[in-house]
Amino acid sequence: MAKALANQPWRKANVARRLQIFVASLIPLPLVVLITITAHLNPILSFAGLFLPLQLIAASVVGYLAYGRRGVGDAVLVVLTFFFSAFVLILLLSVLSSVVIQGSRAISWQFISQNNVYVSPTTSLDYGGVGHAVVGTLLVVLLTTIAAVPLGLAMAIYLTQSQSKTRNLVRTFTQALSGLPSVVSGLFILSIIEATHIGRSGFTGALALFPLMLPTVARVAEEALKLVPVDLRYAALALGAPNYRAFFQVILPAAKSGLLTALLLGLARVVGETAPLILTMNPSSSTSLNPFNGGMTTLPTYIYNYLASSYETSQARAWGAALVLLILVGFLFGLARVLGKNKSIKSKASK
Amino acid sequence: MSEPVQRRKLVAGPLSKGDKWFFRSTSIAAHFAFVLVALVLVFLLVRAWPVLQSQGLGFITGNTWSPDQKPIVLQLGPMLWGSILIAFVGILIATPMAVSMAYLIVFMLPKRLAKAFTTLVDLLAALPSVVIGLWGLLVFTPLAASWAEVLNKYLGWIPIFGVSNAENGFMSSPFIAGWIVAVMIVPIITSVTREIFSQLDKDLINGALALGGSRLSTFRKVILPTSSGGVVGGVLLGLGRAVGETVAIFYVLNLTMDINWAQLLEPHGGAVASWILARFGEASGTEKQGLMAAGLVLFVITLIINYLANFIVNRAQPWRKN
Repeated sequence: MAKALANQPWRKANVARRLQIFVASLIPLPLVVLITITAHLNPILSFAGLFLPLQLIAASVVGYLAYGRRGVGDAVLVVLTFFFSAFVLILLLSVLSSVVIQGSRAISWQFISQNNVYVSPTTSLDYGGVGHAVVGTLLVVLLTTIAAVPLGLAMAIYLTQSQSKTRNLVRTFTQALSGLPSVVSGLFILSIIEATHIGRSGFTGALALFPLMLPTVARVAEEALKLVPVDLRYAALALGAPNYRAFFQVILPAAKSGLLTALLLGLARVVGETAPLILTMNPSSSTSLNPFNGGMTTLPTYIYNYLASSYETSQARAWGAALVLLILVGFLFGLARVLGKNKSIKSKASK
Repeated sequence: MSEPVQRRKLVAGPLSKGDKWFFRSTSIAAHFAFVLVALVLVFLLVRAWPVLQSQGLGFITGNTWSPDQKPIVLQLGPMLWGSILIAFVGILIATPMAVSMAYLIVFMLPKRLAKAFTTLVDLLAALPSVVIGLWGLLVFTPLAASWAEVLNKYLGWIPIFGVSNAENGFMSSPFIAGWIVAVMIVPIITSVTREIFSQLDKDLINGALALGGSRLSTFRKVILPTSSGGVVGGVLLGLGRAVGETVAIFYVLNLTMDINWAQLLEPHGGAVASWILARFGEASGTEKQGLMAAGLVLFVITLIINYLANFIVNRAQPWRKN
């Protein structure tokens, strides 16, 4: 990509052109704000019905003056692209900011550490918290990870290291699995629970998360293994190493950061899952360290339960738990990013 | 000519014992994907069979869900149609946003900003659906309801924006659920589209610009036609996700068995996945089997959509040959 950009001598002028057009397109903004306030128009209506058309016209005029007819096309595209993209960012920021703002009201050390025994929907926020849910989340996700990561890695190995004919079939089915709706995964484990009469516990919840985590890990791990130059493997094989030693001693170390990314993205995929856990686990308000017996609450199911009631303190608790969950997800996600960065540097060096 | 030297077989096979085990174990693990899909289908089918048998085709087309009636009637029609409707609205909203975002990232932003935007979009994908549901219920619904009110006021004469009673308050409608779904599928469509855009032949685009085309005409006549396959695939992947979305829709939609054909602002609708979640608490016996059947139907639908989507995406990305 960098190389392609270096071959575009006109690129700098283009950035200036787009900026020009974009700045010009903002000219109607004060006007529209003024009209909206003085005429008491609905802000949404004036934005969509007044500002956008005016913005398009202003940008087109500037584009035409500066660059002739093709400037108009440029202007329309620039305005529309910025508008829609800004919308995506606004939605994202709205989610993040509302969780952070509302969540920080509820959150405190006691909220993170205490569990939920003796707490009713109206109990003040000074008592009780999500401690049990944090523990539950970690335990359930850990159980899933123990099963899904080795298996996903093995699938990735099979897809990249072997020459078997069924690889495409396996890939198709992995993709099919990655489209599995989470609630169906819950129903699947529920049907097993009812068929075998094992009790609902943290373990069954972990089982329900397993089909969701597996394809993510397998897919990302496959991408990571593909990034390792095949010459490395050939060199190892040519030196007489058997395949498994070539893998464990050469390819695995080279792909380490990418595989960690696979693990983290898999974790991020399941840590926020709600529906399958509601179907397969009983909630509990006390801290439980035994995932094989009795109920367990995770952060998503905690949010789910509290959002069901309309009391203000309950909603505050839900926001608080959402913030804790978001921090957890953000932490995993950030870690995956940092490790992924190493990966891309390495792959560039290998090219 | 003398007897030819006996050739070694050119097919490379595992030579050492360790290798045999290495390949055998990974092969078993890999085929577990196969087993897992089959297991899900078989278990759900076994549990759902009595209901499917007793309800027949009406399970999909009918619109009565009364587990207390005798004989019991379980029909899923409005929920199925609701899922399709919401997914469709979600895609209509999400596709322009996602394609613009991909265009912005690939063709307009300087490299460093483009990376930052990619990260932001991926972050959106990582948000748990229960958090989106929470935000959707408490923050977004009042906002979207005011949008819906404006839409209804000025475009109410178009049937899809009409409502039977404007006093109902425009909450809990398929319109809002569609927006929530859009928020969740924008990252999927964006990442597929971005991938496709970034692999386009730059000479094609530069050529079009050199011939005097504007950015708009280049986008419409060069970029879109060459990448449309991939974009459609990305949209289908989003559709698969939208159909299976459970918790977020459960919060923002009023689920009723009263079918809502296409009145987007009417405060009721349906979604199969959310229906399963909503009924699960009280369900027992036959109704639970009915929910399993609903799950089976949902799974089969997403399987088909995903298969199509992956087929199209893979065909649109020939450079990703394995």
